[in-house]
Amino acid sequence: MNFSVLISQFFPLLINGLALGFIYVLVSVGYTMVYGVLRLINFANSEIFMLGTFATYLVSTRIFKFDQNSHPAHGGKLFLIIICCLVASMLTSGVVAMFVELIAYRRLRTKGASRLGSLISAIGTSIALSEGVRILTHSIPVRAPRVLNKFNVFEIHGVGLRIDQLLTILAGLIFFFAVDRFVNKTRLGAAIRAVSMSEENSRLMGINLNRVITLTFLIGGLVTGAAAFMYDTTYEQTAYYAGFNIGIAAFTAAVLGGIGNLRGAFYGGMALGLAEQFFSAAFGAQWKEIIVFLVLVLILLLRPNGLFGEAVQQTRV
Amino acid sequence: MNKTTKKLLGVVAVATLAIGAFVATNAQAAATQVTLAFQSPLTGGEAGLGQDELLGVKTALYEYNQTNPKIKVNLVTGDDQATASIASGVALGFAQNSAVIGVIGSCCSGATQASFGAYKAGHLTIISPSATRADLTSPKASTNGFPFFHRVAATDAVQGPALARYSTKDVSSPKVYLIDDATPYGAGLKPLTTPTLKTLGASIVGQDTVPQHTIDYSSTASKVVASGANVVIYFGYYEDAAKLKVALDLAKYKGVYASGDGTDDLGYITDAGTADAEGTRITSQSVPFELTAPAAVQKDFTAATGLKSAAGHAYVTQAYNATNAYLQCIKGGATTRPAIQSCIASGTFTDVAGNKFNFTRYGDIAQGAPVGAYLVKNGDIIPVGNA
Repeated sequence: MNFSVLISQFFPLLINGLALGFIYVLVSVGYTMVYGVLRLINFANSEIFMLGTFATYLVSTRIFKFDQNSHPAHGGKLFLIIICCLVASMLTSGVVAMFVELIAYRRLRTKGASRLGSLISAIGTSIALSEGVRILTHSIPVRAPRVLNKFNVFEIHGVGLRIDQLLTILAGLIFFFAVDRFVNKTRLGAAIRAVSMSEENSRLMGINLNRVITLTFLIGGLVTGAAAFMYDTTYEQTAYYAGFNIGIAAFTAAVLGGIGNLRGAFYGGMALGLAEQFFSAAFGAQWKEIIVFLVLVLILLLRPNGLFGEAVQQTRV
Repeated sequence: MNKTTKKLLGVVAVATLAIGAFVATNAQAAATQVTLAFQSPLTGGEAGLGQDELLGVKTALYEYNQTNPKIKVNLVTGDDQATASIASGVALGFAQNSAVIGVIGSCCSGATQASFGAYKAGHLTIISPSATRADLTSPKASTNGFPFFHRVAATDAVQGPALARYSTKDVSSPKVYLIDDATPYGAGLKPLTTPTLKTLGASIVGQDTVPQHTIDYSSTASKVVASGANVVIYFGYYEDAAKLKVALDLAKYKGVYASGDGTDDLGYITDAGTADAEGTRITSQSVPFELTAPAAVQKDFTAATGLKSAAGHAYVTQAYNATNAYLQCIKGGATTRPAIQSCIASGTFTDVAGNKFNFTRYGDIAQGAPVGAYLVKNGDIIPVGNA
């Protein structure tokens, strides 16, 4: 145990934790949106994330011809690459999420299949996507090239905030609040909330259930894709298994915050990102997951609806 | 004994002789063709290590087949992805394949150790070009591979002190941070460096264990910076070595970065990028094939693999030597598993440089093996002498 590092490296750990936390937040939104509407854990969300990371990688390497030894881009070209990578990642994840809903869940739902059937279908889809990418990539992880020069935007007493971390934190905030506003302030958002409260009553009110559910998967996929872009920018790597670890962490964050609850996903993601960083520093990286998950179990024992579940219940999707 | 019984016994005797002759003929026919197996990661994060070693195996087999031998040797490959759970399945498949009389592999200690059960049960001999964890051949370890395991590289008991010496070379007041990947290889190598580091007067300012395939190394990098270390030694494979190096550079760490033979692969430079990988110190038991093999063998290497040179490919020499040990046994008529085991355990073999070697009772090279020092420079891993 080394608690002195928590003081001497507090700000670097805080910044790293925030950047990681925002990635968790956006992937958690993908889980929590679907759960809120269907009461179903979309296990394929981790692979939807993984496909987004590959979209970013492919755009930067195949379209913009970047490799590990390329010099980072600047100015207009950098802006163009970032926008193209982000859009490609979001569209890939969004479209795949819609297809997953269409192929893996809709028929089961319309035929009144049990939740267990949908659960198996979700796990099956997740494995099929992951294994498909594994075969295509020969199981070899890829390093995403450094498109963005990682300089410190500002530095105080040797502690700096890097541009990629700032980008991840800002983009995470913007995307999260955009989704939150959409769900809480628009007609389509109201439809999503209505379906999450009662499918039967929503149908009686004339809401097109299929359309709302597809929309929910699309939004969840889009923000998950945004997280995938941030992941590539921050960690510069991906692999067929990239979604697994992030997926487990984001799902944990969603449960920690109160699954089905948008703002709970935010608090859960941030708490988990920060906890991982500080616990790793204090106890050693090998203890990180043990401690984080023990804390999760403890919190759920005390608050079964999650850490912030009841406090923000009214914002449930 | 009545007539009927005599006739019956006669028929049984004739049938037995006929079956015996048939089996013997078949055994002789089988002896004209045998199979060697190669087990290593051929896909996955550590695929570079296995693919490099396969070059040495192919070269040795190419040379053997050029001599028009009486006994043909086939090669089957198994991809263990350097993962224990996959390796045990691959090993089981080879052990159950009666055509296989010997195995070359695996490259990595964890995968090798996980395969011992299947190979011991199948009485199948294995020679690893690069599994270096010390206890694989330790008489005291219950997890050793005795009597079927052998290897043609120096153990980590030799590499550990060498890595300690090379990583702190020319560093004044070395303050060392040790990080391992929690694999049998990485976790096994780490404690073998500490006695030498202490002898050299280096202070160990911190240690961490970061499991293989971790995504985020930033908290570890922060700890390294906070410790004031000027030497970081990573014990693991190149995929994660590259991730840690990138994280250290982003955290503005300016000291020496060193690693063992798990990082001796060009994949390390590909993953970390030329700029980030520059200056990394690597120790490896790999003997550079391009500097050791005679010109004729280097020509055969090109003919067998289509590559101009073995430069940048690790453990080609050891894979070549391991395969040749089997081929020397097969030439001498050893075509069954027990015959191969007996020949490998007691025979004397010639390596690519023409030197003689044989194995100890527990499977190490009796004559010892060197540990080389390498430096990443201008996008290449360059040998700079012995560590």
